[in-house]
Amino acid sequence: MENVAGRRAVAAGVLGLAGLATVRPAAAFVGSRPECLAPSAPGGGWDFTCRTVGRLLQELRVVDQPVQVSNMPGAVGAVAFANVTSRRAADNNLFVATSTVGLTQIAQRRYPGDIDRVRWLAMLGADTGVILVRADSRFKTLGDFLNALKESPDGVVTGGSSSLGGYDHLRMLLLAQKAGIPSADLKRFRWIHYDGGGPAVTQMLGGHVEVVSTDLAEIAGFVEAGQIRVLGAMAEARLPGAFANIPTAREQGYDVVGLNWRGFYTGGRVSDDNYNAMLAGLKRVYDSDGWKEAARRSGLQPIWRGGQEFERFVASMVADLRSLSQEIGIIS
Amino acid sequence: MSDRILGVLLALFAGWYSWEARSYTIDFGDPMGPALFPEALAVPIGLLGLYLALRPDPDPDWSTGRYLLSQIFTIVVLIVYALMLQPAGFVLATIVMVACLTAMLGARPEKALAGGVATSLGFFALFDWILGISLPPGFFFGG
Amino acid sequence: MDILSSLANGFAVAVQPVNLLVAFIGCFVGTVIGALPGVGPVNGIAILIPLAFSLDLSPVSALILLTSVYYGSMFGGRIASILLNIPGDASSVVTCIDGFPMAKQGRAADALAISALSSFAGGTLATLGLTVLAPTLAMAAIHFGPREYFALYVMAIVIVGGIASGNPAKTLIAGLIGLAIGTVGIDPATGIPRFTFGAYELYEGIDFVIVAIGLFAISEFLFYIEQRRTGPVEQIPVGRRTAALSRLTYPATSLRSGLLGFVVGVLPGSGATLASFLGYALEKRVVDKKGTFGKGDPRGVAAPEAADNAAAGGALVPMLTLGVPGSGTTAIMLGMLVTLNVQPGPLLFEQQPDIVWGLVAALYLSNVILLILNIPLVGIFAKLLSVPPHYLMPGVVTVSFLGVYSVNQNSFDLLLMVGFGVFGYLLRKLSIPLVPVILGIILGTPMEQSLRRALAASGGDLWTLVESPLALCLHAITGCVVLVAILREGRRRAEQAAAARST
Repeated sequence: MENVAGRRAVAAGVLGLAGLATVRPAAAFVGSRPECLAPSAPGGGWDFTCRTVGRLLQELRVVDQPVQVSNMPGAVGAVAFANVTSRRAADNNLFVATSTVGLTQIAQRRYPGDIDRVRWLAMLGADTGVILVRADSRFKTLGDFLNALKESPDGVVTGGSSSLGGYDHLRMLLLAQKAGIPSADLKRFRWIHYDGGGPAVTQMLGGHVEVVSTDLAEIAGFVEAGQIRVLGAMAEARLPGAFANIPTAREQGYDVVGLNWRGFYTGGRVSDDNYNAMLAGLKRVYDSDGWKEAARRSGLQPIWRGGQEFERFVASMVADLRSLSQEIGIIS
Repeated sequence: MSDRILGVLLALFAGWYSWEARSYTIDFGDPMGPALFPEALAVPIGLLGLYLALRPDPDPDWSTGRYLLSQIFTIVVLIVYALMLQPAGFVLATIVMVACLTAMLGARPEKALAGGVATSLGFFALFDWILGISLPPGFFFGG
Repeated sequence: MDILSSLANGFAVAVQPVNLLVAFIGCFVGTVIGALPGVGPVNGIAILIPLAFSLDLSPVSALILLTSVYYGSMFGGRIASILLNIPGDASSVVTCIDGFPMAKQGRAADALAISALSSFAGGTLATLGLTVLAPTLAMAAIHFGPREYFALYVMAIVIVGGIASGNPAKTLIAGLIGLAIGTVGIDPATGIPRFTFGAYELYEGIDFVIVAIGLFAISEFLFYIEQRRTGPVEQIPVGRRTAALSRLTYPATSLRSGLLGFVVGVLPGSGATLASFLGYALEKRVVDKKGTFGKGDPRGVAAPEAADNAAAGGALVPMLTLGVPGSGTTAIMLGMLVTLNVQPGPLLFEQQPDIVWGLVAALYLSNVILLILNIPLVGIFAKLLSVPPHYLMPGVVTVSFLGVYSVNQNSFDLLLMVGFGVFGYLLRKLSIPLVPVILGIILGTPMEQSLRRALAASGGDLWTLVESPLALCLHAITGCVVLVAILREGRRRAEQAAAARST
């Protein structure tokens, strides 16, 4: 279906080429077949990011054709990364969805290459990490939970949507570190990996896990329904709107910011012109009302970091994640 | 005899499988660990393999002669097809593959070729145009 | 809230011309897509999502489109299973067992009709269950934790292991091989790659589609070549249904399997596939007195069909009430709902009843439309078999390659498929049944992961597995099944020995 529309658009473009060439907006994506690669199956978070941003790019006429969204799941983004770095490093049509979850994998050396193999474009929004318990839980504050862990590291069953050492787990360990729990004990925490925030919370409601660490957006419905209590949000300041009465970790004395931002990278050998064009396109999406609306609906906070600022941010985040992982013993 | 061979192969596989699994360790909060399940699986596989080797069923009727050759030819064609699909492009590779197999099954060469072309183009239209699943164009079409 | 009036509202929404049209399109597209092996509801939905956006459909209409594609492609998968012995997707595997023999006996149209009718029965049952019981069931399903899931999977393996007849050692080996194949890939709990040897293509494990198409379709081709050794192969007689439609409904079978399927579907994570296996196994144990299952017994088609459609409906319960996907397809639907500003979760029934009941009514409508659409078409589908084999078989091979290629677009998968084809051929030659292999692949990871979660929660204490009453019940059922099987086998041997002595 997309292909048919795409071919028609290309045909139209060819016919009116001369005219179009002068009318082309200055900040257009270059490349004739824009494509967003989602390193997950259809329906996952990265897939959603690609489709939303792709749709906005088209609506804002940053691109002439619909953005094709392709899926390449595997190893939390490693398969897509391998593909891009080996075969599409200079492809100026392509931008790939990523997030802090992907960065964690790079930091723990689970990707076939380091951050310098690709060019980091921008991040457009962030999801907030939260610590959840059932509404009738014995834990009323973050302090209750962390103190219980301090006394008995394997006394609380925790869980989330990442594997051992993945970002959900890591964020919880960061909190524990700030609470003064020694690294040796961090290893003893009981962690159960689930396939997503939803399943994790559902299992929590059923009493099979006591505390869940995950992203807010996916399980916001449960918060609104009043079935779960948020012990703390790992944000820089209180969240807006319906979540304004969630205390942050920072204000409870644990200065940890655990945001799961959504962003994009592109091939490592893409030219500067192409890179800048993509960057400008993404900035236009960010500035649009459409993005604000989409972000609000999906529970993301719109936050922008682009170009060099973003590359520096990525570098420092990876370094932090790496050293933390080493301290805890996830990697050597 | 066939079962005996199978049994021995299974036992060998079980040994290798278990040995390979040993390296999957994590010294971190997972009591069972990634290695336990494969190692546990290897035990019954190995035992059953030995059992088969000791108490084999009667041999099946293996194919011989030109049927065996046909089967080997088929496998070779399919392997080549799998390898050539992306470089040569779907249309060309499929025409060749279908024509080869159709001819092998007994059709006359010109009918085999016609069948190849029809199958190839028909499916190309269905998948690439209608379903939007892009197929490799091959070097003729700029792939 | 008055359920009937809400449902009536839902129907009012669903029968608007726009929605009816959308449902028709969805069912048709879904059937065609599902008929192509390897291309499943996931592809269909992924293709239609942009269409739904660009047409600016209302949320209800978009949902109706998706669910009708979902149901449509389930039915489509049966077409390839019955006619060609190629499972179109995981839930079609069991249909091959009795469906393909029926086709070989010239009763392909019958089998397809049974499939359509039983699917309708199962789907209707599920829609009913969804309507009446959704919130209650959701709360009950919460009690299923890792221990209970583990018990369920063990029970499934034991029960289904009994399906295959023949050398029990070989059945066991088949299952174990399947479990071993299932361990390839990244271990979800720890992120460590197992048995991948650095091949990134294997990181997500060996895709089920590759295994199924290789084991069934490619091996079938190799077998076909060989069959001509024993004489010319007869053309399969193809034609219309041999029985009246009313005789092709199997109400008792459909009811039993449908109920079972619905319950299985409600549990998040266990889906249509498991339901189809269990439905078949249960039915076999209950009604198969003469050993006709596996040789073209119509009830062997009716049971899995009712079960997996019921499960598909059941999978919507956790999705709508808790926002937890019950399967891959519902995961996509979930994403779709979120995009449409419908937040599934505990409050969905209260906040957006129009959408929920419109969806429920739409599901029922899709069921009806599928039946109306497909019953006349079964004769046409069955005609496919009248294409001469030397054209048909290479065509099947082409479709197989296409199906596998559509998953990841790489040649490695294709080579893997050919490899599995040879492997499947060898297995079949050596009388090792294929169905337990498939089952092992499907259940291996969930079973292992649930065991590890249970142990992670208990800190390594094995006793936790029997400390839950629900899990204990399931283990007890498993134990009974094994006991009965052993006793039966003992009695059978005693009878054989007595018969041998008396002659």
